[in-house]
Amino acid sequence: MEISEVIKFLAKTTPFNHLSTAELSQLGKHIAVYYYQAEDKVPTNGRRLLIVRTGVFALYSDQQQLLAKLQEGDFYGYQQLLTDLTDADILKCEEDGLVYWLDAQMFHQLRHQFKNVDLFFQRLFSRRLHQYKEQQQNSRFTLKLHDVVQAHKISITPQQTVQQAALLMTEKRVSSLLVEQEQKLVGIVTDRDLRSRVLAQALPANTEVAAIMTRQPHTIDKNAYLYEAVQLMSRFNIHHLPVTEQGLCFSMITATDIIRAQQDHPVYLIGEIHRQQSVDGLEQCSLHIQELAQTLGKQQVPAHEAGHIITTITDALTQRLIKLAMQQLGEPPCVFSWLAFGSQARMDQSLNADQDNALLLEKEPVGEVELYFAALADFVCTGLARCGIKLCPGNIMASNPELRLSLKGWSGRFARWITTPTPQALLNASIYFDLRVIEGSRGLFNALQQDILAKTANNDLFLLHLSKTAQERTAPLGFLKNFILEQDGKHKKGLDLKKRGISLITDLTRVYALSAGISEVNTRLRLKALAETQVMDSRDVQNLLDAFDVLAQLRWDKHLQELQQGHDVTNLLDPAQLSALQRHQLKDCFAVIHEAQSSMRYRFSREL
Amino acid sequence: MFGWLKLHKEPVNAVVQQFEAVAWPAADTPVSQCRFLVLDLETTGLDAKNDHIVSLGWVVIEHQEINLAKAQHLLVKPPVSVGQSAVFHGLHDKDLSKAQDLADVMTELLQHYAGAVFVAHHASIEQKFLTMACQRLYGRSPKFKFIDTMQLEWQRLLNRGKVVHQRDLRLPACLSRHHLPHNQHHHALEDAFSCALLLLSQLKKSRNHQMTLGELTALSRG
Repeated sequence: MEISEVIKFLAKTTPFNHLSTAELSQLGKHIAVYYYQAEDKVPTNGRRLLIVRTGVFALYSDQQQLLAKLQEGDFYGYQQLLTDLTDADILKCEEDGLVYWLDAQMFHQLRHQFKNVDLFFQRLFSRRLHQYKEQQQNSRFTLKLHDVVQAHKISITPQQTVQQAALLMTEKRVSSLLVEQEQKLVGIVTDRDLRSRVLAQALPANTEVAAIMTRQPHTIDKNAYLYEAVQLMSRFNIHHLPVTEQGLCFSMITATDIIRAQQDHPVYLIGEIHRQQSVDGLEQCSLHIQELAQTLGKQQVPAHEAGHIITTITDALTQRLIKLAMQQLGEPPCVFSWLAFGSQARMDQSLNADQDNALLLEKEPVGEVELYFAALADFVCTGLARCGIKLCPGNIMASNPELRLSLKGWSGRFARWITTPTPQALLNASIYFDLRVIEGSRGLFNALQQDILAKTANNDLFLLHLSKTAQERTAPLGFLKNFILEQDGKHKKGLDLKKRGISLITDLTRVYALSAGISEVNTRLRLKALAETQVMDSRDVQNLLDAFDVLAQLRWDKHLQELQQGHDVTNLLDPAQLSALQRHQLKDCFAVIHEAQSSMRYRFSREL
Repeated sequence: MFGWLKLHKEPVNAVVQQFEAVAWPAADTPVSQCRFLVLDLETTGLDAKNDHIVSLGWVVIEHQEINLAKAQHLLVKPPVSVGQSAVFHGLHDKDLSKAQDLADVMTELLQHYAGAVFVAHHASIEQKFLTMACQRLYGRSPKFKFIDTMQLEWQRLLNRGKVVHQRDLRLPACLSRHHLPHNQHHHALEDAFSCALLLLSQLKKSRNHQMTLGELTALSRG
């Protein structure tokens, strides 16, 4: 006999959510229910699968180190069931709760019977859950016709005259007409037909449309992909294609429509940016960034690529603004490099990023040089702000005179951070260690970067302090009501995906990259370089890369959703909005970060 | 002439005898060692003399674990229409067509669970109906002893200095107080399961972690 309370719970718990009711009720028969009270120790070597129903359970290593917090829908015991090894872990109840114990026989039977159940636990075990995909997954899709054409049918009957057709086309400002007889498509008439089949043939204005139309035109269903329409058009050398919906006419798509549909392609937007002659024009262009983001979302462009594209656009805006400033201010008095820090430098900008930039000058910023670049920086920074890239609240901007320095000036400043590091100074300074040149002299920039890397590589004291600041914040180990939820200015609560996740990976990757003198700035490229040079273990790197991608993807999807709903874009995630799988994946990521932080601590303190 | 009556009565009565032959665990048995049978009945009314059992649900607790493999939900053929009581338990006459005879159900219960500690929420109902059923079927009933989770809850709240209303003691209210999952109330098996969860929680929450069956019985009597 099954108990619906138990079955209902299993039915919404990944990976059992794919089982049928009959299978679930079989499963239910192999369950024993136990109630634990806070402080109770849970036996860990019972050769059974523990499923948390309610309450919170903390998992400690034999060295009393907190490994994870388990709550509703979480599992324990699969480790031993899969490997037959015993474990010295300690599992302790923290908040009274119920657990379901599933016996080993049923656990193995399910694994053999259902591939996704097996895969789920294997992945969970190897911490590679981010590679587990729900079975019914949406296929990758690109734009479909109904995304770009509206129901906009302009039609005429075959018995009407060519003059009527010309009048209708003029009135509706279209270059083609659908010819319909009793709701059925019988042909099309285009501008070109009127020219070559009527005028050129000297036919009278009262000629019937039927006489000159293109009969039985190619059509395409509105659910087809846009690229299928392009293929049809180029294959048959046509520029007009009737779009049908369940066999009936829906609209017409033209080659021009297709070109227009591609306009929110990033290449198009970047080209537009470089053609603008005024800040107003750039501001207009920047309004399309959000549309572009949504298109990227629809095309399921992965988050890290989307971050790259968004950075490229910020770069283009910056470059164009510098050009416009130079048109206004005249030629610069010396060579300069416009630098970007932080996410723009790493090329993983998000939609809510603010400005982090500076100027590196060939000459000391005094007199004429200072006046010129102060004006240039003001122009560019206010221009960027108008284009939606907010001013930096910490004033890390080229418009700040302290951030307009010569090579000697910058070199000295980095030297101070590197040779006499204090944790507080480093906490503020770590952002400066991710830098990239956006415009101006590359040579000047390279001189600075090489100088920095030469000072940081193998500099144990500096690396120790930098690694300490990279551990100031930790990833949450459990989703405990108030434990991890943070507030933003608007008193919204949530889990900060950036502060508690993405940044932690960025920070620790930076420490390793600087220790090894790697000049890459992008976090993913840094990690790959670290694996190639064997500074880090390639498996650890893969885990970090996966965790980074999962977190970035969650944030990107969330930002897109907020855009679509017209909300402000924030990094605060409401854990209640997550699916069970996402929750598992997120916990997985946090565990990966946690481990990477501990090995970093070990690595950089030991070498001192 | 009426010898067949006697013959018929003999083996059936044996069920009661066998049940009585297995004693409850000794009073000094730790509750963690006890086997509990947590039971719930749905009936056509509250009067054991005139109303009838329509369904029985039970779960077994061994070593403080509810073993779902032994969970049972049995429908009973009532001698009369379930009438208006269907509103509560959701069982209509048509559902009961596949139900079993009360005799079969009772025999299964008594044969398998002699020596188990019976538990119910507001146990006087279960006690009265089981007693009446045995008297009707076997001519005589064993003395059913129950641990009553409602009484336990009442004691618990009194000890904490609470003013206790009747409504606070109803099963759904108790489940909420113990942060236990709820389900369909007035379904014999679901309620038996809920009652078992409540008992486990009550046992854990008592300050006496080495509690014996004797102490539990005393608490249950109030």
